[in-house]
This record gives sequence, structure tokens and C-alpha cells, in this order.
Amino acid sequence: MTSPTVPERLVIEPPVTPDAPPTRILQHPVPDATGRYMWVYLWQAPLRAMHWIAAIAILALIVSGFWIGRPFFLPNAQTTGSYATQWARLLHFAAAYLLAATAIVRVYWLIAGNRFERLPALFPLRSRDWRNMIKQILYYSFIRREEDTPKYVGHNPFQQLFYTSLYAAALVMVVTGFALYGLATPDGLIFGMFNWVNELLGMQMVRFIHHVTTWYFVIFPITHVYFAMRSDVTEHGGGISSIISGGKFVEASHRYEDNP
Amino acid sequence: MLLPTSTPWSTDEALGTYLERRGVSRRDFVTFCGEMAAILGLSASMAPRVLKALEAVKRPPVVWLSLQECTGCTESILRTAEPTIGDLLLETISLDFQENLMAAAGHAAEKALHDAMEANKGKYVLVVTGSVPLEEDGIYLTIAGRTAKTILEEAAAGAAHVIAVGACAHWGNVQAANPNPTGAVGVNQIVKDKPVVNIAGCPPIADVITATIVHVLTFGRVPELDSQGRPKFAYGARIHDQCPRRANYDAGQFVEAFDDEAARKGYCLYHVGCKGPATFSPCPIFMWNTRTSWPIGAGHPCIGCTEVGFWDTMTPFYGRLPNIAGMSVEKTADTIGALAVAGTAVGIAGHAALTAAGRLKARKELPQHPQGPPSSGGPNPSSVS
Repeated sequence: MTSPTVPERLVIEPPVTPDAPPTRILQHPVPDATGRYMWVYLWQAPLRAMHWIAAIAILALIVSGFWIGRPFFLPNAQTTGSYATQWARLLHFAAAYLLAATAIVRVYWLIAGNRFERLPALFPLRSRDWRNMIKQILYYSFIRREEDTPKYVGHNPFQQLFYTSLYAAALVMVVTGFALYGLATPDGLIFGMFNWVNELLGMQMVRFIHHVTTWYFVIFPITHVYFAMRSDVTEHGGGISSIISGGKFVEASHRYEDNP
Repeated sequence: MLLPTSTPWSTDEALGTYLERRGVSRRDFVTFCGEMAAILGLSASMAPRVLKALEAVKRPPVVWLSLQECTGCTESILRTAEPTIGDLLLETISLDFQENLMAAAGHAAEKALHDAMEANKGKYVLVVTGSVPLEEDGIYLTIAGRTAKTILEEAAAGAAHVIAVGACAHWGNVQAANPNPTGAVGVNQIVKDKPVVNIAGCPPIADVITATIVHVLTFGRVPELDSQGRPKFAYGARIHDQCPRRANYDAGQFVEAFDDEAARKGYCLYHVGCKGPATFSPCPIFMWNTRTSWPIGAGHPCIGCTEVGFWDTMTPFYGRLPNIAGMSVEKTADTIGALAVAGTAVGIAGHAALTAAGRLKARKELPQHPQGPPSSGGPNPSSVS
């Protein structure tokens, strides 16, 4: 066993070692490890809440959105007094407002969050990070070994770009979505705020972009969940539990790229 | 209203007196003023003001230019089942210079145009149908040896108000569709120093033209316009939000093909490409041919003809979403999306399989962990838990 020195600048709340008593907050047993482990608090409560609310809202938006794009024919609609399309629209608009609300929280948290949540954490800023990203891509392509690949406590550069791309896609969806939503009330605030999009691109092109970008929100969770699970299984990163509990265990002895 | 009437509206005669002379009853005239007030979105208390203003109005000088167009707009105005007072008003005011309707031709016609513009400089209403071609110095449309651009610029310079009637004058219409070989543009691309009222549509509804002119005659200014220069009283709401088939949309009752049971029942035309959700127009309310019918009322989806660039942006007319340029028409948004999702799923499955295979291989090659096998295995136990 090495006797590691804990990097001073790493936020450790609380440091956990095999001989330290388990904390009350974390009931699950600390893994039997060869090194010294510590618990890092990554995602604070607002960010975690935003993540799960956004996940539910996006699911609702995808389902109701595809319904609005191509509503199913209801043969008995006339006799059953169906209101199907309007229920789908209600769900879609309600979920859209919910997502926009989480976006506002997220934008605030880009300033108020910790260093894993703030704006600079969204992008690979150092040239070192870009070099690491190539190593990361080689690792994901089975060319480079995991132990030779630089490690990050928060998101690695590859993840940063992938997750930030979802924010970009969400921005496209919010802008095009509200532009289309505003059309029903041409004297309203939403129309006044977003109609420039319709004038710039044409309403049908806005509709097309809104529709086709939806598919990105189908592709993203598939990829996101796969890599989260793969990372937990093969690298024992603890990423999935971190979005529930807020933190994860990292090796105290390891030098992490984002712990300068 | 096809021919110059034998009893023209003389220059100093008030409209009220003239209509009386033409045999229009006071009751009909009051009704007409009420209708116009309603169309313009004025309160009922404004109808007497419209009546008073119209009654006293002297014959307004109107110059009507027909440029690059099919004369369909004029046809739309002419083809009413019975001439209304609105028709009469259009007829009487459009006779100064209207190439399709005027008796004069050739040099006499040109002289009539210049006389009308000279005599009423700064006072006349300029009505334009048709677009202005700009390619090759505008040679695609010349009248009496002068290009449409020159004619329009000259006519607009002395106009008090400019009203562009129809999609051609609005933005160029079918001749301006990609690739726009003649470089056709709308009136507001040429006339920039004064507001241009765009009566959008291919063709527009006659009532909208009449009501706009009534507004100008009554209040001395053009009605409130939207960002595209279209009068808000007519183009202030989408077809989708005024449609008599909206209830079918809400209920999820859709036409899937033009010969199905749903089509016979008059259900919503959303699936067969209706552009009502992207089109601002008063069609469902005003309708055509003396309020007889309109496209969706006749079972055809809206093609969005009141919107700029509709030949390019609203096509395919029988599909919900645009096609992607450079791809075959079958490649719709959903095909691309589904392919991308399938590609992602296959890629991830392959990646997962390779990962699992690598882990199995590494586990076999590794010596056993001193304290028993690691709970989840891994290529290098010293670097993981």
C-alpha cells in the first residue's frame, strides 16, 4: 500500500479511508480498495433536480411532439368525444415550459454552481484537454488502454462536448418551439419575442428544424445511458450514483486532469 | 363592372350622390359600410363614421399598374356572383388607368397613365399587381419600351399610398420561386421610401382590397400593418386558428387520403399537407366568390399562398414537412431521424459487444486476485476498486 498524499485543492467532503468509520450520509460500504479513496461532491442539489426534471420533460416532449407531428387517426373520435391532439399539445407545451424553467435554473447555476457546474466546465478550454480528448477517443475506439487514458473527476473533454451539444440542441428546440407556439397568438408576448425566427427561416423551415432536432433527443439518451453504464461497469467511475447522491468516490492517489 | 360605364363617377361628385345615381339604395350603402367596418375590425360605433366619410368622399385618383403577373388578381376581383358596392367602388376608382379594364390602348393608354399621374401628383393611390423583374436590366418586362422597374419607380414617386395586390406584387410569387430566372421581386423591394401595403395571396380576396381602400378613403391613411406589410385586420391570425375543421384537428380526426371516409366527413387536412398552421390569412372568414367557398371548405389543403416564398417553403403541398434539398423526396425528416437512431443503436450494441469481449479476454489472462476475484473484474485491478 502506498501512503498517498491527498491533493490539497481537491474538495473532499468527507475524506473516506478504509479505516475511517463509514459516514452517516453514505450508508453503502466503502469498496475494499488498495488505495486511499475519497468522496467528491460533484453535482449539487439544484443540478441533480434539473437533470431529472429535464429528463422527464424531454421524454414527455418527445412522445407528445411526435404525436403532434403526426397525430394518429382515431376512428372513434367522433363518438367518444376525443380531445386527443389538444391533450398532446397541452402536455407538450406544459413540458416545454418546465424544460425552459430548468434551463433558467441551469443558466443561473452556470454562475452559482461549483467548479464542475460552472460555465468553464462545459468546454475543453486547455489545449491539454484537446490532446486528452484524442486519447479518450482512442480509448473508446479500443486502441488505447484505460489505464493510459487521462482521467477526470468531472466530465472529460469528450463528455463536455457531448453534453454541451445537448444544451445547444435544447436551445434550438426552445427557440424554434416558442416561435411556432407564438403563432397562435400574434398579439402575444411569445410571438413578439420569437417571431423573428419565423421571419428569418420561414415557418415551415422552423417546423422542420424543430421536428428533425427531436431525433437528437432520441439519440442522446441512448448514447448517454450506454456510456454512463459502461463507465460504471468497466471503469468503476460511480457516475450514475453521482447524479443521484451528488458525489462519487475517487482514488486519492490518482492525479486527475481537472484537479489542477 | 367589365366595361367603362356610361355613367362614370365624375371628379367632383361625392360617392353617396354617385351611388344614389347608380341606383344603390341607402339601406344597401349603410349595410356595406357596416360590413367594411366589421372587416376592418372597427367597433360598431365606427360604422357611422365610415358611412359619413365614404358618403362625402370625392372620387379618389387611382393608378393601377399591371406588371409581371397573370391578371388572376383582377379576375378574382371581377368574378363575383353579383356586383356588390365594393365591386362598384373598385370599378369606379380603377378606371383612371387599368390596362385590363380600360378602353384605351397603345399611345392613348400611355397618355392616360401620364395624365392621371401628372394631374394628381402626390395624391393618387397606386395599386400594383405583378412583380418587377430585375435580371438583365429588367428586360423581361417592358411596357412601351420602358422596364417595369422604371415605370414603378416613376409611378411610386408621385403616389400618396402604394398598395401591392397579390403575391407577385408582395414578394414575386411563382416567377420568383427558385431559381427565379427573371430576378422577380415584390414592390417593397423597389419602393422603399413609403410604406407598401401588401394584400397577400394568390389571388387575394377582393374584400380585403376593398376594405383597405375604404380604410384609406375614410381615415386618410393605410390600416395597421404586420411585419410583412400586410393589413392586420385581414392577416392577423392563422388559418389554423380560424378553421371550421379545427374541431376535427383537436379531436384527432384526420383525412389520410383524398378518397377516404374521413375526407367525405370533412375532417382535418393536416396529414395531407395543409399549411393552415403556417399561414396568416382571413380565408376561413371572408371566403371567395361572394362568401361561397374556399380551399379547405372544398376539401383541399391550404398551400400557404399568403406567405412569402410559399412555392419554395410550403412545398410539398401535400406533405407536412419540407423535403431536404439534394435528397430524394422520400428522405423526409423522420427517415433521417430513424436512420440516425438505428445507426446509434447498432453502433452502441457493437461497442458494448467489443467492450464485453475485451473484458472477458482480460479476465482470463489475469492472475486471480489475492483476496478472491474482484467483484466486477477489470483489466487492471490495481487501478480500479
